[in-house]
Amino acid sequence: MRTVTLHDYKRRMLRVLVHIQQHLDESLQLEELAGLACFSPYHFHRVFKGMVGESVKEYVRRLRLERAASQLKLGSASVVDIALGAGYDSHEAFTRTFKTAFGTAPSQYRLARRVELARAPSGVHFHEPITVRFRTLRRGGNMKVEIRQLKPMRVAFMRHVGPYAEVGKTWEQFLTVMGKEGYLGGNPMMLGICHDDPEVTPPAKLRYDACLTVGEDFGPSGDIGAQTVAGGAYAVTTHTGPYNQLGRTYVEFVGQWMPRSGRELRNAPCFEVYVNDPHDSDPEELLTDIYAPLQEEAKGARE
Amino acid sequence: MATTEKVDLYKDNKEYAATPKPALVEIGPAVYLSISGRGVPGGNAFSEAIGALYGVAFTVKMTRKFAGKRDYAVCKLEALWPNLNWDDTTPDREQWVWQLMIRTPKFVAAKDISQAIETLMKRGKGAEVQRVELRSLSEGLCVQALHVGPYEDEGKTMATMRAFTERQELRIAGTHHEIYLSDPRRVAVSRLKTILRGPVMKAEG
Repeated sequence: MRTVTLHDYKRRMLRVLVHIQQHLDESLQLEELAGLACFSPYHFHRVFKGMVGESVKEYVRRLRLERAASQLKLGSASVVDIALGAGYDSHEAFTRTFKTAFGTAPSQYRLARRVELARAPSGVHFHEPITVRFRTLRRGGNMKVEIRQLKPMRVAFMRHVGPYAEVGKTWEQFLTVMGKEGYLGGNPMMLGICHDDPEVTPPAKLRYDACLTVGEDFGPSGDIGAQTVAGGAYAVTTHTGPYNQLGRTYVEFVGQWMPRSGRELRNAPCFEVYVNDPHDSDPEELLTDIYAPLQEEAKGARE
Repeated sequence: MATTEKVDLYKDNKEYAATPKPALVEIGPAVYLSISGRGVPGGNAFSEAIGALYGVAFTVKMTRKFAGKRDYAVCKLEALWPNLNWDDTTPDREQWVWQLMIRTPKFVAAKDISQAIETLMKRGKGAEVQRVELRSLSEGLCVQALHVGPYEDEGKTMATMRAFTERQELRIAGTHHEIYLSDPRRVAVSRLKTILRGPVMKAEG
């Protein structure tokens, strides 16, 4: 029996990088990229960011800009045409982004003798053959991860649609209604499920479920729904610190710890469990357990 | 929802800012949500009582909040230990009696409590919640100190408190009171913070 190795993760991610390079002019859909490498679309963006060091969006935009840069240097196309080719609607937008990336306007770049490009975290650049430095967790890294076997959990939830920074308001409202009905007795767990990737989905459309564990007989009413969080194997790590830094721990966990773990992510969202109370703890002391769903081991071994 | 500012008795009462150095404080009349029992601290009866106490505390708070009444923060867990003696002649742990408490604003009424208990009973939360009640306590002049470390080591801090009160020509003559600032499930025992308090009176002779 063979488990999924770091080598497998790298080989599959390389497939994605080559595909992006060959299809730079197409609109690259996250689901399609994830499918190419047999990654779950729920987790792909974090695995990518963890291993490559840039989000898919940042990576694609940089490669398009680098291609535009080489067209400026080597070709005779006008700046406007090159801007359009790089996916920009206007000369101005292109010039602004180009300037941020290369420190000089496209027209000056064309005339300059030589401009040193900043190196990408992955080492992949448009005009160079692909040799990747994947960023997986260094050995001896101090991320503590535990594998837990969960039973399915029935939860009541209230959905928040909007920036993640504003979920506190939804929690207040949700806990008030649930508390009044007596559902805060018996020390229920408080869970959060993020359905969308803030890199891809605009802040106003991000979906988040504030959840509280309840009994099997709980029925939805009004703004409060009911769902079941799937059971099975989960990798669990604890984030210590403010909620607005959770993203970084997710990326390190799913994108850097996971490739070395020998395990494969399941196609279901991660969820987080709030261990202590934000009203009662300093932001630096907040504890959040992150649960990443795993495929069963034997299945993962066959790949 | 509430128009007036949220009440936080833990932050607003200076006696909760104790330091490791023993000090005398005057504790005025206060109201606590409370449940009593007997048995090993941390044992089944004790844990169930804590669950019932918090269940009622949050149900009362949220019911009031939902109704647009004045909001408040749920305070830290406290406990009275009537047979934990200050002279170290403490009985067997099985026999320890405790009164678990959460300080509660005076505007919370007995009717709020009975209503919350009824709601929790409807959710099948057991008979424990029926034992939760409002209690007033007026401790008067007390000595108190912040103990940092495992509960088993409280003897050391209690000894410094005794020595301190004797120097003031006072003696500790009331129920041992503890205020738990840290959550023992989340904080390393060496960092657990607990305020120890005891009412004092003039030493005879």
